[in-house]
Amino acid sequence: MSALRNSLSRKLTVMNMLVSGGALLLASLAFFAYDLITFRSNLINSTSVQARIIGTNAVSTLIFNDPPSAEKTLSALRASRHIVYAGIYTPDGQFFSGYWRQQETFPPVSLPALSPQETEHYWFQDHQFALVQIIAFQNKPVGFVYITSDLEAIYSRLRSYAIILLVIVGASLTAALALSRVAQRAVSQPILRLADTAALVSRERDYSVRATATGDQDEVALLVDAFNEMLVEIQKRDSALQESEQQFRSLADSIPQLAWMAEATGDLFWYNHRWYEFTGTTPEQMAGWGWQAVHDPITLPEVLIKWRASLATGEPFEMIFPLRGANGEFRDFLTLAMPVRDAQGQVVRWFGTNTDITEQRRSAEALRQTEKLAATGRLAASIAHEINNPLEAVINLVYLARMQPANVAKYLTLADQELDRIAQITKNTLGFYRDSTSRTDINISQLLQEVLALYNGKLLFKRITVRPEYAQGLHISGFPGEIRQIFANLIANAIEALPTNGLITIRAARSWLPDGSHRRAIRITFFDNGTGIAPEHRRRIFEPFYTTKKDVGTGLGLWLTLSLVAKHQGVLRMRSNIRPGNSWTIFSLYLPEAPITN
Amino acid sequence: MASGWQFSSVPGFPSFGEPKWIPACASAPAGERERLEDRRKLRILVIDDEQLIAETVEEILKHEGFDARAVFTSAAAMVLAEEWQPDIVLSDVIMPGLNGIETGIRIRELAPQCRVILFSGQAATVDLLEKARSQGHRFEILAKPIKPEQLVSVIRGRS
Repeated sequence: MSALRNSLSRKLTVMNMLVSGGALLLASLAFFAYDLITFRSNLINSTSVQARIIGTNAVSTLIFNDPPSAEKTLSALRASRHIVYAGIYTPDGQFFSGYWRQQETFPPVSLPALSPQETEHYWFQDHQFALVQIIAFQNKPVGFVYITSDLEAIYSRLRSYAIILLVIVGASLTAALALSRVAQRAVSQPILRLADTAALVSRERDYSVRATATGDQDEVALLVDAFNEMLVEIQKRDSALQESEQQFRSLADSIPQLAWMAEATGDLFWYNHRWYEFTGTTPEQMAGWGWQAVHDPITLPEVLIKWRASLATGEPFEMIFPLRGANGEFRDFLTLAMPVRDAQGQVVRWFGTNTDITEQRRSAEALRQTEKLAATGRLAASIAHEINNPLEAVINLVYLARMQPANVAKYLTLADQELDRIAQITKNTLGFYRDSTSRTDINISQLLQEVLALYNGKLLFKRITVRPEYAQGLHISGFPGEIRQIFANLIANAIEALPTNGLITIRAARSWLPDGSHRRAIRITFFDNGTGIAPEHRRRIFEPFYTTKKDVGTGLGLWLTLSLVAKHQGVLRMRSNIRPGNSWTIFSLYLPEAPITN
Repeated sequence: MASGWQFSSVPGFPSFGEPKWIPACASAPAGERERLEDRRKLRILVIDDEQLIAETVEEILKHEGFDARAVFTSAAAMVLAEEWQPDIVLSDVIMPGLNGIETGIRIRELAPQCRVILFSGQAATVDLLEKARSQGHRFEILAKPIKPEQLVSVIRGRS
């Protein structure tokens, strides 16, 4: 059956044979049936004629009661080989004379009953044909003839018919087979040629070939035309695709980034020219996972972990890592890779870019230094103001003490108090300039109070109330100068945001890092009931150069603060409300008690 | 040191310089000229939110023979300036409420011939001067800390 299913020509052949064989068989059967019916009626007729001849000859023997003469007449039947028995009976049904094909004499067969109107009656029974006929003389029945004949003639005719049928059908089918072999080529050959063309197209991906027309106007020709039209469409799309691919590659080669593509398995199969230019490698070296060769061995394990994670989850890949250039120098690249998905949402490939951010990082570092300098400048001005005021008082008091000897003690006591103020300020500010290259234990409450003392003048100036609420014994390990800078920036921001008579609440307590890591941390919240930060500013306040107080700040304060917080692996969050009468801002700073060191 | 300014050589008590008659604010009504002519001493209004500074400066100026009065807020200064018509306003710059420059400008509206001298602990004096100049005022700026001798010298210098 499978052979039949697999071959069109075989199907056609079998179909032809079935049709022609079936038709031939039906025709032959009809013909033979007609012939048999004819032959049967001939048998009946000839037997009837023979019975009449015998009856006519037997009239006188019956009339003259001469059985031997009747026997003689009957013996003529020997010429008819199919007559098994013939008998002559008297009108009252008594056996008169008989003939048996076999020589021995059988007892006379009794005459079957005949209805009164009939002159002749016949029937088929037990492979035999029997006929009874009245013998009449001058329209009076004088006796009966009874003949039984075997059907051997019919059977032999049937046998020869079967043989003829077999021969004819066999010969016809053989001829039909041969003819259909020839004929089916006309149908199957064009289809097979079409199949070959289709195979060629899919193998060679050459959409310029065309199936050859059969020259006919049949269905196969329609199929060939449709197939060729389809090829034209595919060729158009293919060239459009190639053009688009060409454009993509030109684009990818013209961008300053390094770009690449990877299979869903993570094998990289294409890089743009910039990649080879920068790394000084060849496509052979880079194929598959060869890119590892240009990575820094220190960061490579993390890159591999992240890349494999992205491959497994289909999540975009984003990471900054160094790549070694052709000159052996490592540069920092921001690498982004996006999955390309098919209609079913399955990742089919990855497209990635590496952007050289070495310069940006350097400029960012320079900016950080600039802001640090600017912050130092502002701090210096603040310190100058804080010191100059008590100094002015001291100078005046000394002058007055000199002028009014009677009040010397009073003036000098006052001067002494002012000098203490100056000493306190210098002591606190010195902390800003301590070396902060190594981590040390930091007492959070103490540091907060030191920073607050520095802003004492400003706080008094704006009549701001400060409410410190610190838990006992809060310590972290970090860089004191930088933590001090974080506190100073957040407190300075709160002061800037407040009108006179404002309120600042600073709370410090033990907590956990809000990043899901469950690491122990100190949470310090800086609350002020100032004007609040408008929603449109909230997202941007941590960006460099973003400032709403153009004449005062560089716009780098919070940006620097955030980078210092990140350096301490901490988290800085801001919430604000600008509803008039109930406006406030809270900066929540989480600093881990001990940093994770790698 | 300016001549006639010898307190440093005489410890204990200063010699008061020759008090000068200054025609006070020209805007004063002609009817009041009689009263103003009686004035023998320069009227100096001292404003500083640092109470100790305001009081010591007042004391020193009085000692130097001026008629000085100290206030600690710009609001109080405004009230006194209108009522008292000072010849000179000596003001701190950074104060709660109105700052020294704004206070100076407002007082000049009340007493247009007043001389305004600002003194500030901040170094950014150039910016402050520019700001006042842009509004048509020639304010003098002194940097804190300033020695009383210098202060008196500046006050007398232009007078």
